[in-house]
Amino acid sequence: MKRMVSAIVTLSFALAFLVLPAFAQETVKVGIILPITGEKAKFGEIEKKSFEMALEEINAAGGINGKKLEFLLEDDTGRPDVARSAAEKLITKDKVVMLGGGYGSSETFAIAGVAQQSRIPFLVNTGSDDKITEKKWEYIFRLNPPVSEYPKGLESFLTEVVKPKTAVILYENTNFGSSGSKEFKATCERLGIKVLMMEGYEHGGVDFKPLLIKVKQANPDLVYMISYLMDASLLMRQSLELRVTPKLFVGGAAGFTLPEFQKNAGKASDMVYSATLWYQTLPYPGAQKYFDDFKKKFGVDTEYHGAEAYAAAFVIADALKRTKSLGPEDVRQALAATDMMTVFGPVKFIAYDTMTNQNKLPTYLVQWIDGKLELVWPKNVASKPYVYPIDWEKIWK
Amino acid sequence: MEVFIQTLVAGILMGGIYALVGLGMTLIMGVMKIVNLAHGQLMMIAMYITFVLFDHFHIDPYFSLLVSMPALFLLGAFIQKYLLNPLLKVDSILPENQVLMTVGVGMILTEIVRFIFQSDYKSVKTSYSFSTMYLGTISFNTSMVVAFCIAVLLTGGLFFFLARTDVGKSVRATAQNKDAALLMGVNAEWITILTYGLGAALVAAAGTLLLPIYYLFPDVGGRFTLKAFVITILGGMGSTVGAIVGGVFLGIAESLGATYISMALSDAVGLVIFLLVLIFLPGGLKKLTKI
Repeated sequence: MKRMVSAIVTLSFALAFLVLPAFAQETVKVGIILPITGEKAKFGEIEKKSFEMALEEINAAGGINGKKLEFLLEDDTGRPDVARSAAEKLITKDKVVMLGGGYGSSETFAIAGVAQQSRIPFLVNTGSDDKITEKKWEYIFRLNPPVSEYPKGLESFLTEVVKPKTAVILYENTNFGSSGSKEFKATCERLGIKVLMMEGYEHGGVDFKPLLIKVKQANPDLVYMISYLMDASLLMRQSLELRVTPKLFVGGAAGFTLPEFQKNAGKASDMVYSATLWYQTLPYPGAQKYFDDFKKKFGVDTEYHGAEAYAAAFVIADALKRTKSLGPEDVRQALAATDMMTVFGPVKFIAYDTMTNQNKLPTYLVQWIDGKLELVWPKNVASKPYVYPIDWEKIWK
Repeated sequence: MEVFIQTLVAGILMGGIYALVGLGMTLIMGVMKIVNLAHGQLMMIAMYITFVLFDHFHIDPYFSLLVSMPALFLLGAFIQKYLLNPLLKVDSILPENQVLMTVGVGMILTEIVRFIFQSDYKSVKTSYSFSTMYLGTISFNTSMVVAFCIAVLLTGGLFFFLARTDVGKSVRATAQNKDAALLMGVNAEWITILTYGLGAALVAAAGTLLLPIYYLFPDVGGRFTLKAFVITILGGMGSTVGAIVGGVFLGIAESLGATYISMALSDAVGLVIFLLVLIFLPGGLKKLTKI
């Protein structure tokens, strides 16, 4: 009796091992590196959800020429050293055919270094430091505009409507903030706006009042801020407290477009402008549908970071479908030949200015009006008319 | 001039909270002669307790003090009794190695919280979150003023406890000389448990008071442990007056540094002071007085 039982058990184990490999089909593996935990977790979460939503649609439509596409998600915790290790793990251990993601500029730059050295293609969808595509690294491609172009939508608004004479630039002391602020300073000089003050701060600060007191004293027409989420909220809350009242506050995207910014800063977020790279009413096929589907599936609003991730997934899938083989050089060539439309806009990697493998897209201006983020400029794509001049006393009562 | 006054005000108010953070650590350092590297994490736990009470039961953070302080007192006492004191009993482990245990405790607390709450930023918005008081053109953040006042009250209470009550005197005795205190009949083991709990309760108060002003995420503790350490060294290890003066001093120094040097270097100001104190005034401010 005992021998019968052990024989049956052994046979079933053997059968299990024979059957299992049949279920483990071949999948095409792509590594995605995002900040899932840590300070930038909120951004990573929006992008992760968008990647997952896109993956479902891609695989439902047949995957990569019949094979399932698989996204291996790694958490860079918002730190460049962790990002580097994550990239190395995905390349050497998981043997992914290419990398995607890249949120924080410092982390993205670290990942790009690893990818270029290992000669594995990397499609950046958010990291915006210009440097990333200025190094002539042929394996690195970028879907999103570089941070120097973020204020392009803002520029025409400033020259046509606001005509400010002075500006103050506040930025976080990271790749994203430092390069963005330098570029905006150059933009101001080009537009004839005097930059009264340009100061960096360490992220995670509790008290920005010393900084904001100086801003109040300088009394600029325009305050331009480059921050991730919580600093943006605190900066606005404390500006309200100190009654810092320039003609307008403009955020350089990132923290300023997240729904959490409005939740955390409340009243202090109203009437704040921000550069943005995308809005759901833009005339790109599927943009509004992506926004609505995301809202239906996850119950929260999405914004430009999510759109970047969603579009990137389709660009990856498209390249992998066209590639001659899954070897890195062929995948790289397929990526380089990309020419398609996505919810984020047209994607074609070209070389311009000092950059290579960069997709060229316009940027826009949004404004928080009555607790909702509205596209206000350019006028022909606006969802609501902009509010300017702003009566701060009335708004901040 | 206005800028200077506003900066000074901001620094003093922040200093009140720093003082609370530093007081807890200096007490623990004085009695147990160890650096409690889990200090910031204890503060973080108190902040999460306050957040949950606010989010689910709509209890105002200032009332949550009545919950978070005792809760952290118990947690601190528990940590001291079951995790730190047993280490002392093992001859082969140096007493200083309790510090390593606190590092481990800190990490565990952080990761447990991350597991339950994820790494999202949380914040509380109360009815007075945006209210500011104005004295002329100088603005005072209401939440910070309240926090400062409560910090003063708690500090006063602590002083009374240490100076006038028997238990308090036992704590000071144990801090001065543990063996002598034992000889005088002080139950040193019980005192260490009480002190750690007290230190934890104080930093819990700091956390609860800070929540309306700042925000919350699992890793928020680290930078406050560092601040507490700087304050403790600045004020003199074990000196409660030193911790208070040190806390306010650090708050003002950071504020002035941020305004007149650079916001980016505000944390560096504290660390430079730390170095200067270590080089030129090794005993801390305590050396300048006789308390």
